[in-house]
Amino acid sequence: MIKAETAKASLGAALPIMAGYMVLGIPCGILASQTGLNALQVLMMSLLFYSGAGQYMIANMWLAGIPPLSIVASVSLVNTRQMLYGASLSRFSGVGKKRLSFLFAATVTDESFGINLDRFEKGDWSLVNATLVNLFSQTSWTLANVIGVVAGAVLSIPAAVASFAMTAIFICLLFSQKATMANVVAGIAAAVGVVVCKLVGLSGPAIFIGAVFGIIMAFALSEVQKRQ
Amino acid sequence: MSWSQFLFIFAVCALTMLVCRVIPVFALKERELPESVSRGLGFIPPAAFAALVVNDLFDPEAIASGIDLYTFIPYIASLVVVIVAVKTKSLLWCIIVGLAVYAVLLLAVPAVV
Repeated sequence: MIKAETAKASLGAALPIMAGYMVLGIPCGILASQTGLNALQVLMMSLLFYSGAGQYMIANMWLAGIPPLSIVASVSLVNTRQMLYGASLSRFSGVGKKRLSFLFAATVTDESFGINLDRFEKGDWSLVNATLVNLFSQTSWTLANVIGVVAGAVLSIPAAVASFAMTAIFICLLFSQKATMANVVAGIAAAVGVVVCKLVGLSGPAIFIGAVFGIIMAFALSEVQKRQ
Repeated sequence: MSWSQFLFIFAVCALTMLVCRVIPVFALKERELPESVSRGLGFIPPAAFAALVVNDLFDPEAIASGIDLYTFIPYIASLVVVIVAVKTKSLLWCIIVGLAVYAVLLLAVPAVV
């Protein structure tokens, strides 16, 4: 049984994500309706795939006439970054608790990763708290998507404005990190990695390759600092 | 999109997503990680978020098709969000201010041009 105070704390942590997902999710649903998807299909996507970037990519690529196999390959490559989140959060997933760990791991997103990691590191944050943050966020995303697909004919939100909500969340999470020299190097190297990848046409795996490059550079610096 | 096309895209994407999300958690769970690995894992958040921000903002195709005032809108809005993020550390304020600035700039550019 989940305590009311646990649910309240998780809801408080999830609220900014939920607000962002409402703003992002409705245009995503509108876009999905333009590809011919119905409310049931969008519901399935939001519940079992649950990826803002992925769902936007599928709709945009489909509308651009890209074949299904290429869509699947590109979306899967972009989603490889989730492996980094899982690796980072594994130390907080607790002993035993396999079902809860599975539910937690299966519902991590870019935004909930940042919020939960911050709370875990501060202490006083349980796997139940973190899983509730994920589920509250997913509920908001699913609701917004279904609203978008149902009301697609009436509602109109510029996609560029809506997608900037996601960028604003990432900027906030980036600038909430500790400003150590190694973290700064991680960020700059990751940024350079993404730019280089996109310039040579590797847009699909750009996030993953850039992030891994950033981690390697920061780790190398921390090794040098440790030896001095 | 037909049902068969949808099911193919949905099933493959959902499966690869589930594998990417779940496998690392269970592979590393309940293990005492060496200090160097823990240190390396600590660099994931700054690297991942920087990569996500730059991926959102840097669009070589848009730049190649011609730079105009619209090109600078996301960069200007991002700078404002950085200031809000440093000052408030609030996700909600970053979203509200970011979207407001972006929308105002979108409306203002045709007036300038």
